[in-house]
Amino acid sequence: MRRAGTLAALGVALSLFVSAAGALAQSPRVEPAPATRPAPTIGGPPDAMAPPSVPTEPTTPDLIVDLSLARVSITSAFQGESILMFGMFDPPGEIVVVVAGPAARETVMRKQRFLGIWLNTGRQSFDDVPAYYAIAASQPLQRLLARSAGGEILSLEDRLASVKPATPRDAADLARFRAGLVEVKRREGLYPAAIGQVTVQAGRLFRVDLPFPSRLPEGVYEVRVYLLREGKIVAAVSRPLPVGKVGFSAQLAGWASHDGTLYGLGAILMALLVGWIGGSVMRRL
Amino acid sequence: MEIYLPIAELSMNVFLLLGLGAAAGLLSGMFGVGGGFLATPLLIFVGIPPAVAVASQANQVVANSISSLQVQWRRGNVDLRMGLVLLAGGMLGSSGGVWLFTYLKRIGQIDFVIAVLYVVMLSTIGLLMLFESLRSYFRRRRNPEAPRGKLHTHYMVHRLPLKLRFYKSKLYISALLPLGLGFLIGILSAILGVGGGFVLVPAMIYLLGMPTAVVIGTSNFQILFVAANVTFLQAATNGTVDVVLALLLILGGVVGAPIGARIAAKLPGLALRALMSILILAVAAELLTELLRTPSSLYSLGSREVLR
Repeated sequence: MRRAGTLAALGVALSLFVSAAGALAQSPRVEPAPATRPAPTIGGPPDAMAPPSVPTEPTTPDLIVDLSLARVSITSAFQGESILMFGMFDPPGEIVVVVAGPAARETVMRKQRFLGIWLNTGRQSFDDVPAYYAIAASQPLQRLLARSAGGEILSLEDRLASVKPATPRDAADLARFRAGLVEVKRREGLYPAAIGQVTVQAGRLFRVDLPFPSRLPEGVYEVRVYLLREGKIVAAVSRPLPVGKVGFSAQLAGWASHDGTLYGLGAILMALLVGWIGGSVMRRL
Repeated sequence: MEIYLPIAELSMNVFLLLGLGAAAGLLSGMFGVGGGFLATPLLIFVGIPPAVAVASQANQVVANSISSLQVQWRRGNVDLRMGLVLLAGGMLGSSGGVWLFTYLKRIGQIDFVIAVLYVVMLSTIGLLMLFESLRSYFRRRRNPEAPRGKLHTHYMVHRLPLKLRFYKSKLYISALLPLGLGFLIGILSAILGVGGGFVLVPAMIYLLGMPTAVVIGTSNFQILFVAANVTFLQAATNGTVDVVLALLLILGGVVGAPIGARIAAKLPGLALRALMSILILAVAAELLTELLRTPSSLYSLGSREVLR
């Protein structure tokens, strides 16, 4: 199933590549990088039809992306999902993909030995912590970001440095709690330690697998794709990726959160019925 | 085969959960207690969040107690008056317990409190049972024809005010005693997700002095309503009851319970009690080492709060 989906997605990517070779700059999703934004033009770059050999004024290079699935659906059989992201860019350049989950307040708790027993003694809340954070790149990230990437936050370290503590605390201890947060998230597969590999074919077609673990918080995730040239972001595209429960699990979870009273009564009724019938049947056997 | 648990928000093996339910059912069939005291720590151990494990286990206890109450009621083994007094205390205790649970969860100490309560309770009960069964074993060997003594021993506590006659239990004791007992069991039930049978049954026999025949039925009666109250309050206030998880545990339990009853019928009561006490002590020892051992990670996360 997954292989078929991947193949289909690749096919789409290839056809995109072929059609894009004829008429470039038709994608409305291209956003110019904030640092190099030229005078705003309506209807795409004016020199789209210019012969490529003629040197032109620096305009926004093309960057087109798509995902193999429009959303991550958490069904009763959900065990994590891998989504293929693919696209095309104007060479030269390198691609960096950042996937960030919705931000929320997280409370980190730290255990300490007290009278021989380990218990939570310290706690620190952080606002604006992404539920999920993964990076993929076509080159080792250090090399791509040797120089400042134009104020854009890419690495997890930079992203978490911007996370605000809800209560003040001295810097060294705050750093320990921040490291603890990364440690827990990493254990749950929500902050993958490894940087994913973006594969580039024919110098301009790229693809990357975005893995999502089974313990995935719901919300609208953001997939950002950057085109870097000489360590500078020259184009960026952002796509929302909704993650949510669907079908039976969505109905149950929705019921539990919207009408806990009725859900509770339903749960009791279910237990009484199954217990009564199951007990009677098993005693007959 | 994996299944996604919508409230616990993770996927888990179906057969693992069915097996856990069956193990708990086996215990309940063998010993007449819920088996929740074993299932809840195991659920937490395999990665279910403690709040969800406790609340869903309470839901499982409802099914477990209705299925054994069916039989006990038909045999007339329920002391309704005693059951109602216990239940009055139990309702108060479990409602307060759910409130306490919510508070402890907010300050991040619920895991610790669950573990400590389990260790204290299981080791006390386990040691008492082991001691008692060893003593009766040696007494029987020394004097197999020992005459039965008084119906039950009268303690000071039986003489408290509000004395009530419990005909079926052949008791004339203060109602405050079963009321207080029910209250304590209610709190335990809410915080630990157990029916509390493993505390209630020995307490009814040794503390209240009830005849063994009506103990199981009466405790089942109280546990059914207390567990239903805990399920309801946990669902309404914390939204932590996972019915998919509960259903799998119940289905496992339905199969396990009659097998346990069949095993119990073949084993002598003394051996059964000794076996149970050893099992309880083993769970207590495991939980204690868990508390004392240096954890693999010092850090954990509380619940996420989406800010508006």
